[in-house]
Amino acid sequence: MKRFAFYPGCVAKGSCPELYNATVKICRKLGIELEELWDAGCTGAGVLSSEVSDPINARTLAKAEQLGLPIMTICSTCTGVIGAAALRLQDREYREMINKQYLKEQGLEYQGTTDVKHLLWVLVEDVGEDELKENIGKPLAGVKVSPFYGCYLRRPEDVIKEGGRKRYIEKVTGILGAENVDIRGKGKCCGFPILTHNETNSLAMTAKHTGEAREKGADTMVVPCPLCHLSLDGQQSRAEKQSGKEIDMPVLHLPQLVGLALGFSAEEMELRRHFTSTKDVEVKVSQIPD
Amino acid sequence: MEITIKIPRQDKNSAGKWDTSLEKMVGGTASEQSYTLDIDPGTSVLDALVKIREEQDGSLAFRGSCRTGMCGDCTLGSGRDHLVSCLTTVESAANKEGEIALTTMHNTEVIKDLLMDWNQFIWDKYKSVRPWIVSNGTGQKPVTEEALEPVRKAMRCTACGLCDDGCTVIDIDKTFLGPAALTKLYRFVRDPRDTDTVQRFKEAGERRGLWDCVHCWEASEHCPWGIEPSHVIVEMREQSVSLGVKSGKGNPMVARHYDAFAKSVRHSGWLDERALASKSYGLPPYGFSPSGIISQAPIAMKAIRRGKASLLPHPKRPGQKEVEKIFKRSEEINEKES
Repeated sequence: MKRFAFYPGCVAKGSCPELYNATVKICRKLGIELEELWDAGCTGAGVLSSEVSDPINARTLAKAEQLGLPIMTICSTCTGVIGAAALRLQDREYREMINKQYLKEQGLEYQGTTDVKHLLWVLVEDVGEDELKENIGKPLAGVKVSPFYGCYLRRPEDVIKEGGRKRYIEKVTGILGAENVDIRGKGKCCGFPILTHNETNSLAMTAKHTGEAREKGADTMVVPCPLCHLSLDGQQSRAEKQSGKEIDMPVLHLPQLVGLALGFSAEEMELRRHFTSTKDVEVKVSQIPD
Repeated sequence: MEITIKIPRQDKNSAGKWDTSLEKMVGGTASEQSYTLDIDPGTSVLDALVKIREEQDGSLAFRGSCRTGMCGDCTLGSGRDHLVSCLTTVESAANKEGEIALTTMHNTEVIKDLLMDWNQFIWDKYKSVRPWIVSNGTGQKPVTEEALEPVRKAMRCTACGLCDDGCTVIDIDKTFLGPAALTKLYRFVRDPRDTDTVQRFKEAGERRGLWDCVHCWEASEHCPWGIEPSHVIVEMREQSVSLGVKSGKGNPMVARHYDAFAKSVRHSGWLDERALASKSYGLPPYGFSPSGIISQAPIAMKAIRRGKASLLPHPKRPGQKEVEKIFKRSEEINEKES
């Protein structure tokens, strides 16, 4: 049995409910048991200073440790931030300080043993190619998928513990039967972190990546991070206006794409919530014989 | 070994522009010239260029100074990669056919051939962070070895420019201060002898500065000296916030964003996206910014229609009290320390 302490993050419980719902559905189908950390705090998302976010994340790591489970995330930013905190907390002196100053009074102590994994890594490393293949109800033959990793599943290397993980989306889409469309910007920033205070630059990044996927003929992009989704999907129409080019590129969350291949319908994967129409890719998938 | 070095013979007008998507220079009208030479495989690329200039073509323009990797002057582009040409052997730079294609770095303005405009690329940005110690006299005290550690780290920078050339933001906006100049800033804000830290953060906190970095970690990956400029930038942001400077005067959205984020996590345990956006953009009930309303209202409506935003109050998460305790404890510790 594959069991994880599930840390969905704020956005999957907020403006990207489709990500949360798709994750729960595919995990049930793939036999991944999720024990949600209902009372865990926000990671700080790289906005809050580590002096406050490290203790919050130590608390989350300690709660998973109590359950004896590794953490599974569905947001690259959460993965990167909590992963970096977990790395710092490997330092015994620092961990003891955090335990003493913050966690002790909450009846917790972090021993430094919790592993943090993104759903993408779980699919490749814990579910594995064979099991994933067995569960495919609708191989995505002929669907051209352009992976977009963003930053936190590519860097920094000591946090992502690279060992092929930089190619995992291609690996998964390959298993699903889809055709890979490589874009150069797949490991670059989506623009989200500066959306509020430098919208011009942020939208330029969004236009660049979605535009490149469009130029290269992708049917859809796929993202492992809801923040990338908020930019690439949510801001795409504004990015189109700013750049003066038509883009119209659907952007699916990773579990939505996996879900379609497992046989879930577009309705079940809640594609209707997206800002950029997913109709063309839905039609393409629906025409694939079961 | 016999190698062929290919160089675009270009000037400001004929140089192409680097296309990140295609990973090549596009739109240039310069012709490429090939120089073939028989040379020891261990020779540096810079020495090979010197040999070409001395023996084949005196008109070839490039830069290079210390020849020992200290000055950063000779950094070049080579296809999608880069090289510090005095530290790279021709053998390691050449492809299977024994060819080395050289260009200036990707995001720079060309002056001639392999000569780029360092003023535009780095030096003007360096100047803007006032790279000298400012002291009102109170900083004159013995400095411990430990306190100088971050200063020494930043001083390892040779201004090779590789972090700026790999920067995601500079790629689309050349006016962004960039990781190299921000690393230079770090050298001074972490220097115990400098007494102008708060003012430095106010200046660097303006638009196109410290807060325009997207923390994509590219700079740390590109730095050949292990200085980790991305990490340095994050560290400075934390230092700046701890000194009460959350952005420059002309860049108030950053401070609003930070405060809204912290308040939301503190009081509900998790992020209230609606309040974060409203406060950052100055929307009702927190403010009244016409431009914010015009740009954000259609998105908010769409989000509500698609069930991506709720009109209900943001619920507190179980565990909020514990998260709030952490915020309070952190403040107590800071007060005690100061």
